[in-house]
Amino acid sequence: MMLFKDTNISDNDRYMKTDVTIIGFGNKYRSDDGIGIRVVEELKKLDSFKEIEIIDGGTSGTDLLFLAKECKKIIIIDAIDTGKDTGQVVCIKTSDIEEFIKEDHKSLSLHDLNLCDILKIIRELKIDTEILIIGVKPENTDFGEGLSPGVEEKIPGIISRIKKEIS
Amino acid sequence: MANNINIEVSPVSRVEGHGDLVINVRDKKVEELIFRIPEPPRFFEAMLVGKKCYEPSHITSRICGICSVAHTCASIKATEKALDIKPSEQTINLRKLVYHHENVQSNALHVYFLAAPDFFGVGSVIPLIKTHPEVVNIALRIKKMANDMVRIIGGRAVHPLRIVIGGFTMLPSEEEMLEMRRILKACYPDLEKSLEVLKTIKIPDFERETEYISISNEYEYALYEGNIKSTDGWEIIDQDYSDKIKEKVVKHSTSKHCRASRDSYMVGALARFNNNYEKLTENAKEYAEELGLKAPCFNPYMNNIAQFVEIIHSVDDSIRLIDRILADGLDEDKMMADIKTGGGRGVGVVEAPRGLLIHDYIYDGKGRVEKANLIIPTGMNYANMENDMKSLVPKIIDKSEDEIRLACEMLVRAYDPCISCSTHFLNVKLINR
Repeated sequence: MMLFKDTNISDNDRYMKTDVTIIGFGNKYRSDDGIGIRVVEELKKLDSFKEIEIIDGGTSGTDLLFLAKECKKIIIIDAIDTGKDTGQVVCIKTSDIEEFIKEDHKSLSLHDLNLCDILKIIRELKIDTEILIIGVKPENTDFGEGLSPGVEEKIPGIISRIKKEIS
Repeated sequence: MANNINIEVSPVSRVEGHGDLVINVRDKKVEELIFRIPEPPRFFEAMLVGKKCYEPSHITSRICGICSVAHTCASIKATEKALDIKPSEQTINLRKLVYHHENVQSNALHVYFLAAPDFFGVGSVIPLIKTHPEVVNIALRIKKMANDMVRIIGGRAVHPLRIVIGGFTMLPSEEEMLEMRRILKACYPDLEKSLEVLKTIKIPDFERETEYISISNEYEYALYEGNIKSTDGWEIIDQDYSDKIKEKVVKHSTSKHCRASRDSYMVGALARFNNNYEKLTENAKEYAEELGLKAPCFNPYMNNIAQFVEIIHSVDDSIRLIDRILADGLDEDKMMADIKTGGGRGVGVVEAPRGLLIHDYIYDGKGRVEKANLIIPTGMNYANMENDMKSLVPKIIDKSEDEIRLACEMLVRAYDPCISCSTHFLNVKLINR
């Protein structure tokens, strides 16, 4: 797992529809749990992402299995209890997934099956999709609209990270 | 053998699943049994106040990722009733079609991923991939089929966008309908294989008769519309639900308990099966018979089997609905009804996968929500789950700690409550043995 470092990438490049799918998970009515949904809503507003498959995954986790089977690379944005500072963003690459599973970090939003469980299933089914998880440690997951300021301010950096990933 | 048992189930850490189970047994009698699960809709009720009539269905669809079509439809029905909006028959048929497939999505997830590991004696779906890969692959294919159906009609596989008050914002094409039909037809071999697998599992032998409540109508196995019907012999129109269904506050839980004719009742697939068995397709009835499920059935563990039988029914009936919609012809003029934004009260009652779901709205004269009441199926089942466990635990008191724990966990899971995923991780502590 690597800690997130903000990068400054402009929105001038247009990203083409490739085999990449971006999916945000969470419940936007549970405060910071909605970070994944909020990021995909922002991405959908950007002209440069018009050709990219961007999915509001809500709280339906098993759908990740089908996406994993259908594309070469998935970028997941979700609220994850990384056990460190609130608002902290971590990027978990395919090579880090074993460690992520072992540590059993709690994804806060996948209602039906936990993100770790889904990743274990993907591993057991030998689906070789490249995965990048961008996880944000929430400050507050009580019922309510809107993100905490400390989570909200991470959105531009997360978008820059995604741009870098698909460029 | 143990005369005194104190079972404490620690709260689990997942957001959606802070469940507590406390069972105290003394001299082989249950002295205290408390089961607690959070009830998120209370927040949503407050949130809906002041919202325009277009908004509640989109907001409430976020209550649950597994029941989003059910919340969408219950919400839409409540609003349409309150504002006297009349959707077309085409709209109703398309809603029934998409509705079938949320039921299939949810039932498949529960039967294959959450309940099956119990029956095969493995801890979760992960080891099931190694021990029974065919079951997991069938589950994935069926779930994908249902996802595709919901996406084609609703615009996406979860939290559908196109299903709105008055109708649809976009219709599926005839080609898409034919493709759905082809996909549905292709899934029968998987259902037959599932039947053979399910015939080999042993369902716990436990019965407790209770009241079973679901919607019901004369012409179909009701999921989308109907009166509210009880196996205790009463039937009322959905708008009058509060005449029979009473919510009460209990000391030990932040969630309200529900009662009707007795001190508890059951909703969900088994309740629907008990009330509406005759309306199942003949094919679904044959599957039920093969699996030893007969109406009325008083074994709550058989809820899992009823869920599987409903998958068969939904596939059969979807093909019928597609044929009917195509025979009538998809007509964009019937896509949306006239929307009026007045005031009034409306109740939307549907069968969510987990059972009866009620949205009750009052609109002010300007088309804004003045008051909302949501009653969710998991909430309705709390009291009945408690009563089942009060009956079950003394019967299995001589079994090992692990067996008692597993029996209780399986019972909770059989109801497919919204915490079903989390309850795979119950930590049961036995004291005074």
